[in-house]
Amino acid sequence: MRLHMLELIFFSTYAELHAERSRSYLGFAWWLIDPAMQMGVYYFVFAVALKSTAPDFLPFLLIGLTVWQWFKSSVTHGGLAIWQSLPLIRQVKLSASVFPSVQILADTTKFAFIFSLLLVVLWCTGYPPNATYLALLPVLLIELIFASAVAYLVAAVVPLIPDLRFVIEQILTVSMFMSGVVFSLQDVPAPWRTVLSANPMTELIEAVRNILIHAQWPDWIALGRVALISMLLFAAALLLIQRLTPRYVKLAS
Amino acid sequence: MSTLVELESIGVAFRTKLHMGSKRFWALENVSMRLNRGDRVGVIGRNGAGKSTLLRVIAGILSPDRGRIERANASCQLLSLSLGFLPHLSGRDNAILSGLLFGLSYRAIARCLPAILEFSELGDFFDEPISTYSTGMVSRLGFSVAMQVEPDILLIDEILSVGDAEFREKSGRALHDRMHNGTTVVLVAHDDEAIRRICTHALWIEHGRSIMYGKVSDVLHAYHQDTQPTAAVTVRT
Repeated sequence: MRLHMLELIFFSTYAELHAERSRSYLGFAWWLIDPAMQMGVYYFVFAVALKSTAPDFLPFLLIGLTVWQWFKSSVTHGGLAIWQSLPLIRQVKLSASVFPSVQILADTTKFAFIFSLLLVVLWCTGYPPNATYLALLPVLLIELIFASAVAYLVAAVVPLIPDLRFVIEQILTVSMFMSGVVFSLQDVPAPWRTVLSANPMTELIEAVRNILIHAQWPDWIALGRVALISMLLFAAALLLIQRLTPRYVKLAS
Repeated sequence: MSTLVELESIGVAFRTKLHMGSKRFWALENVSMRLNRGDRVGVIGRNGAGKSTLLRVIAGILSPDRGRIERANASCQLLSLSLGFLPHLSGRDNAILSGLLFGLSYRAIARCLPAILEFSELGDFFDEPISTYSTGMVSRLGFSVAMQVEPDILLIDEILSVGDAEFREKSGRALHDRMHNGTTVVLVAHDDEAIRRICTHALWIEHGRSIMYGKVSDVLHAYHQDTQPTAAVTVRT
């Protein structure tokens, strides 16, 4: 039964990625063009127009955006997945968590490509690989768990209150600025800095930056805290989906 | 004879609108039935009686809001054509995806692919995206995939006859064989002929209530005697 669920998730992910390719002229190339354009816009605004003089600003920005974008797309796509799959949920007995999982996996695949490109860019601009790269695996794994947890949570509630989908985008934009993606938390006044650093995404983005730019090992205690929060949230979100599944089937279509 | 599913005074309510405080609508109010292994039950009733809802309760997709349901350890599948089909995927990939949604393992579907290809008569089109198919070709593929599913209890909402006259006859025969090889079947149909031919028992439901359950001829007779449905139902409530 478990194996069958995994097969369904993996094959649906393949179908999802395949769909994206066939829906556009350039296909897979968009996986790289899209984030590259976004990075270009932010770089223009912050580095060129606003003349940010912070050291290492280019890698700082690129890493922040890449890591954030993975979280954001997983939450937006995964968060709508159950709502969009209601017709299928009405026809067949399935665990509804399959649908957000597929979206998260598809976005993770795309992230893998973008992240590899980012590494190449960093190597070419004077930030060579280092021993702390070993810590990337646990850090990114924790982000995957955290992103999935948030996506499942949103996915669980959107079918019952579809209006939420108009709000998600705004909340994510605010969260992006509160996660230290485009400016450093050091620039934020003291009381706010404590509030913002409680955000798991801030911790994760900082950890990736420290590894890639400064060859610095992560703060394992802070990371452990984020891991614990992520896993508890993950379990709670899955439980919520399981509890709400009987209600999805009975919603007005 | 072992009982596979037993429903006792089942009720199922839907929310009519997504607004706050919207009223609930009881699609099933009070339905009882017992499904034994090897039974082939035809469900009859007028439009909106709750026949499709009942099938989805037996399939385990809908959980009842009241009443009691007991099921033995038996697999149960509602047969739908073209379940989960995606237009940009090839016929082969859609067959795999649909099979996975029907609860088959990847290995089981992979084994069935040659049979699906042959039965659907798609030839080289099998590896083309189904967006290039005609309606008839899509339904032939859908039927061929659905035929690979072999649950203990087969649930069918309306007789699935698809394609041109020739394929209709072929698919009808395949379905007939499937239903007569000892499989337990619950079938929703509008034509008496199909129910007489296929079923061992019939269940008559009206306005979400089970009115009569028994031998096909008895139930059909009573159903057609009942010329004033609404009046009859009020008498029975």
